[in-house]
Amino acid sequence: MSQAAVVRQRTDPAIGRATVAGMGAADPAWLRARRDEAWAIYQATPMPSTRSEEWRYTDLARKLQLDDLVVADGHTGPAAGALLPGPLRRTMEQDGDSAGRIVDVDGKVVSVELDESLARQGVVLTSLREAARQGDDNIRRLLATAAVPATDGKFPALNAALWSDGVFLRVPSGVTIERPVRLSRWVSRSGSATFTRILIVAEASSRLSFVEETLSPDFDRTTLVNTAVEVFSRGGAQVQYVSLQRLGRGGFYLANQRTLAERDSTLDTLNVALGGSVGRVDLNARLLGPGANSDMLGLYFGDADQHFDFNTSQDHVSPHAHSDLLYKGALDGSARGVFRGIIRVHEGAQGTDAYQTNRNLILSDDAIATSLPNLEIGADDVRCSHGATVGQLDAEALFYLMSRGLTRGRAERLVVLGFLGEVLSRLPLGGVVEKVTNAIVAKLRNV
Amino acid sequence: MDNAPILNVAALRARVADEDLDILKGVDLAIKPGEIHAIMGPNGSGKSTLAKVIAGHPAYEPTGGLVNFDGEDLLEMEPDERAQAGVFMAFQYPVEIPGVSIANFLRTALQARLEDGEELDLFDFQELLMDRMELLEMDPSFAQRSVNDGFSGGEKKRNEILQMAILNPSLAVMDETDSGLDIDALKIVANGVNTLKKENPDISVLLITHYQRILNHVTPDVVHVMVDGRIVESGGPEVALALEARGYEEYRNAHAA
Repeated sequence: MSQAAVVRQRTDPAIGRATVAGMGAADPAWLRARRDEAWAIYQATPMPSTRSEEWRYTDLARKLQLDDLVVADGHTGPAAGALLPGPLRRTMEQDGDSAGRIVDVDGKVVSVELDESLARQGVVLTSLREAARQGDDNIRRLLATAAVPATDGKFPALNAALWSDGVFLRVPSGVTIERPVRLSRWVSRSGSATFTRILIVAEASSRLSFVEETLSPDFDRTTLVNTAVEVFSRGGAQVQYVSLQRLGRGGFYLANQRTLAERDSTLDTLNVALGGSVGRVDLNARLLGPGANSDMLGLYFGDADQHFDFNTSQDHVSPHAHSDLLYKGALDGSARGVFRGIIRVHEGAQGTDAYQTNRNLILSDDAIATSLPNLEIGADDVRCSHGATVGQLDAEALFYLMSRGLTRGRAERLVVLGFLGEVLSRLPLGGVVEKVTNAIVAKLRNV
Repeated sequence: MDNAPILNVAALRARVADEDLDILKGVDLAIKPGEIHAIMGPNGSGKSTLAKVIAGHPAYEPTGGLVNFDGEDLLEMEPDERAQAGVFMAFQYPVEIPGVSIANFLRTALQARLEDGEELDLFDFQELLMDRMELLEMDPSFAQRSVNDGFSGGEKKRNEILQMAILNPSLAVMDETDSGLDIDALKIVANGVNTLKKENPDISVLLITHYQRILNHVTPDVVHVMVDGRIVESGGPEVALALEARGYEEYRNAHAA
């Protein structure tokens, strides 16, 4: 797909009041009101600046000119039935088995497929926009309210005002989806801003895994993809959420993710950042009931001037819950990696088990990793730990491998793959491990 | 048996890179195909440095002399080229490579021997791996573990022997493989060497050791005593026994005199 440089024309939708109104034109009244309210919050909220601790290492004012962007309003995507772009088709072919698939092109859902037997059991997989317009009560209650509300910050507000489409997945009580549900997202327009949302509800004792992949060509202008991800696991449910960020250069990925794990449920996440020029993920895991468990995994591999920033929090609201975070990154070229994480044990959350580890492997003299783990503990009977490391390739390890006949290049690749592979081995979903491994290998060939 | 040495070390001098003092001060050593040589010596004598210089460890720098292996100038070769040529060093302290399984590691090592574009046959590899593990009486699940990651001392040595069995070198340098080992782990090394030797009598072995005890389990053809960067005595197994009885003092004094 060609990607002619787009300079915003007067008629192109800009980030502004008129676009919010246009986006909501066909929405029900409650949703229009929610957009308006979000827009008001957006306007009243200052742009995050490097003076705030959470944005200290990612200078939005310098890296992102919102006024230049053309909002993807859902009208610029391909016509129904049009052939999908080649890179998107190829990555979809590499996916393993799926229980359902949804394809989103330039902020608009263009196809939805769901295993018929699951549909018969009441599983809903659909365009978020369609579901909202049809008045699904779950959406009215949960969309941008309990998980990522507009009040969360500048970009959650902007997304709540301007989202064009997204995914709604609901699995009824007791229903198990064995194979992953996949979202394949493609952004084609250079200089565009895509606002999209995901709402996942796993009812009591249900099981699901969801893999989201974002792809694009390289862009000659900054191109924004902003997502708001809301995941609810009710009592005893088991949920895995995976995000693969594989944008082209020029891509600016901003994700706000919140997971809410109720009693005895498992809600695991994996964030993989490989593409784009800038990637910022804010992930908040809330442990809301005893026995709730969240494994939080992250993997990033930056080269050239890529900049990845992860801001995570583990909120132990309830006693006797467990969370375990492992983020690992390799940085080459003049890439920058930032990890800032906090474990918050709320008052009275006795019996909390919470761990946080960030490890970085620096492959060049100009790459930088910043790691800021943190603890905030409001209970006395807890087990918490946090740790961070920034290291270089171990010369002794390289010699060991070379002494078995591996060239230096192969030895380095093997060490990096092993280092990052530990993360994937903890959440080995079909299609994900192979795809991410191949993408890492492709990047390593340039090392 | 070919009578030309496979390894010929002459007047070899070497130091730790960026330091002034030579640790090896003129080592001469010739090993013929199929021979087992042991080098014994006190701490700091340079015996482990010799092993690392032969393998091409980047922390050591040759400053004189030569190392000829199978007709090639080893000192001009990268560590991986030496391995391809048939040199294998069992490490004193094998390195942990988290996230890389032994099977994957060995597959990559064998793949590295092939020409560009040639692919290692995975079934052949699997068969070779299983065959070697059976020979060494190892549990097949061992190959799925990450290389040396969280291994006991004995498991690390076992892993070195397995690698040696797969890579099938013409010269195996065992760098203080018996240090810090209990008797069971020591037997793993000794049995491994003996088993592989029996299968391929042409393998040459250079055993570097501080203690005589491994020589109760592996019988060397030649024993060398190394003191202060030089080989000061060479002979049959009786040299090791004499050393065990008398210690290194005598050599040190003789050398200082």
